[in-house]
Amino acid sequence: MTTDSSAAETNSTDGTGGLWRIVAEREISTRVRDKTFIISTLVLLVSVVATIVITGWMSDRDHDRQVAVVDPAGRAIVEKATDLAASIDEGTSLTARTVENVKAAEKMVSSGKADAALVPSDGGYQVVGDDEIDEVTSQALSATVASAVLNQNARAMDVDLERLQAGTAVDERLLDPAAKDAGLRKLAAFLFVLVFYVTALGFGMTIAQSVTQEKESRVVEILAAAVPIRALLWGKIAGNTVLAVAQVLLTVAAGAIAMVATGRGDDLRIVGPAMGWYVIFFVLGFVALASLWSVAGSLASRQQDLQSTTMPGQILLFAPYILAVTAGEGVKTVVSMLPVVSTMMMPVRMAEGAVPAWQVAVAILTTVVAAVLMVRVGAAAYERTLLRTGDRIRYREALTPRVGTS
Amino acid sequence: MLETHALTRSYGDTVVVDHIDMQVRPGRITGFVGANGAGKTTTMRMLMGVLAPSSGSVLWNGEPVGAADRRRFGYMPEERGLYPRMKVLEQLIYFGRLHGVSTSDARERATKLLHHFGLAERTDDLLDTLSLGNQQRVQIAAALVHRPTALVLDEPFSGLDPLAVDSMVDLLRDEAADLPLLFSSHQLELVERLCDDLVILAEGRVVAAGPVDELSRRGAERYRVELDGEDAAWLRDVRGVNVVDVDGSVALLDLDGLDAADLARTIVERSPVIELSRARQPLSDIFREAIR
Repeated sequence: MTTDSSAAETNSTDGTGGLWRIVAEREISTRVRDKTFIISTLVLLVSVVATIVITGWMSDRDHDRQVAVVDPAGRAIVEKATDLAASIDEGTSLTARTVENVKAAEKMVSSGKADAALVPSDGGYQVVGDDEIDEVTSQALSATVASAVLNQNARAMDVDLERLQAGTAVDERLLDPAAKDAGLRKLAAFLFVLVFYVTALGFGMTIAQSVTQEKESRVVEILAAAVPIRALLWGKIAGNTVLAVAQVLLTVAAGAIAMVATGRGDDLRIVGPAMGWYVIFFVLGFVALASLWSVAGSLASRQQDLQSTTMPGQILLFAPYILAVTAGEGVKTVVSMLPVVSTMMMPVRMAEGAVPAWQVAVAILTTVVAAVLMVRVGAAAYERTLLRTGDRIRYREALTPRVGTS
Repeated sequence: MLETHALTRSYGDTVVVDHIDMQVRPGRITGFVGANGAGKTTTMRMLMGVLAPSSGSVLWNGEPVGAADRRRFGYMPEERGLYPRMKVLEQLIYFGRLHGVSTSDARERATKLLHHFGLAERTDDLLDTLSLGNQQRVQIAAALVHRPTALVLDEPFSGLDPLAVDSMVDLLRDEAADLPLLFSSHQLELVERLCDDLVILAEGRVVAAGPVDELSRRGAERYRVELDGEDAAWLRDVRGVNVVDVDGSVALLDLDGLDAADLARTIVERSPVIELSRARQPLSDIFREAIR
């Protein structure tokens, strides 16, 4: 069913142009007073802040590794190794705990009082762990033992160690220095995906529900008589986009504050740009999907129908979510440039490492094009189906123009 | 004036509204009657632009109606609908604004209308906490909140008790004194009491339309005669009249050749008379005849 087409066309000249703002205002004012909305926003904020605080606390904690030793030589090695450990992983230190014998050392490890033990063995030394040995600890101890023993041997054999080692130094140089701090970046990427998924799905369902509510309560009949149907659609999209973006900004800000508060302000500089892009991609992706959610609402006659009519929207969000978690590098690179999917994947890639500018541009471009197309098609389908009640309407029907006039 | 010109709506091969020409004149209340399924609601929805006509047009003051014109109409749809979980006053303000009224104007108007319906205390209540009758009052307030330029009301009185009907009628007479007002109803005695004009619809076509007075005078001139205690059966023998009914001393007759003055003379000569009056044809008869 179509409304008088002149209603939509003459929008700008007949004084119905600003109506979408009134509709948007109602969407916002109704929502911000809604208890479920307030609670879900708080839950999201708290979980993001908690994730950051807890991971910060986890990585700060336990950085002092206890190493059980049985003799002064062992203690000396551990004391020397602590600097090396710190240089491998900032914040890690080793502390020697001298015990009677190897058995006692093993007991300390197995009881968890020590993280590892350094004991003499036939060939030199042995690093003993319980079920695993911390890599940093093991590396620092092995290297220190090796160089100490090497020194000792060299002196005994009267060899000039420096000459012997000449030319063996190996340096590291990263072509993509931003790719360091993998843990932090992985965390940021994970939070991006999570927040996008939760927010986009939450607000998408809200749009669909609010459309269906208007159909179900039949209020849509007086709305349609007063307001061009497209203005209703724009109002809904605008109102919910503003709310969704506000929620994301709030979440991103809370995350940034949490990082500063937990003493990781420096890290913020690493993921900061990705956070900014994230907000931009979020807006684009959300607008592209918003019309789909409106149509999903308008296809349903009752709230129960929403489960099936919102399926395409849910899949469009869930697929990139799964991809972001499981896909390999190559797949990620390709899908991160696909419209809508990119809104989740591109910020993730940007958080994980440098992304060529052209790929970002392609992602933005395809999403903008998709948004324009989807909003157009969505608006037409919305107009066709909004005033039809009774049964659930199928997407095929909604997208076929002739259905509107039958 | 709100009028339609050959307004038609069909669904597939079924023509629901068939070339309707009708006029809703300002300052007059137009009743819209017809059996169930006659096409009243479909016509009203096309008037409001909620449904597109298959062909034909709706005119407002002689010009094809536009979205801006319609935006100033007041509409009460057959299927009532407001936001169930929104506060009454807030809701009316919202509708007022959608119809182009400022927030403060809408608030003032809504408050006044709610006051008229005795709902002044309920302004901050959620709509669905109100009784159905009160929800219907809010619905009519939603149609009036923006000082409409025309009113299209689909079954506005259904489900209301007689007092509520009176209160709503008072309000409409007051608010819509010089507006075109079209309302549909099945309550014919109410339509008869309220309407100036009538449009009767049957199977999608207008079968009768015009001022109620004219319609009720259409056909034979009917008179009611009441004699003082005498049996009125002798009237059957008078030439030039058709006696429709005799009940003791009361008779109902149509003139058929005789004129009213001669009838009066004939009766007075023969019997003592208490009353001789022109009988208005009840609307229900007009309706039945029209849709036959």
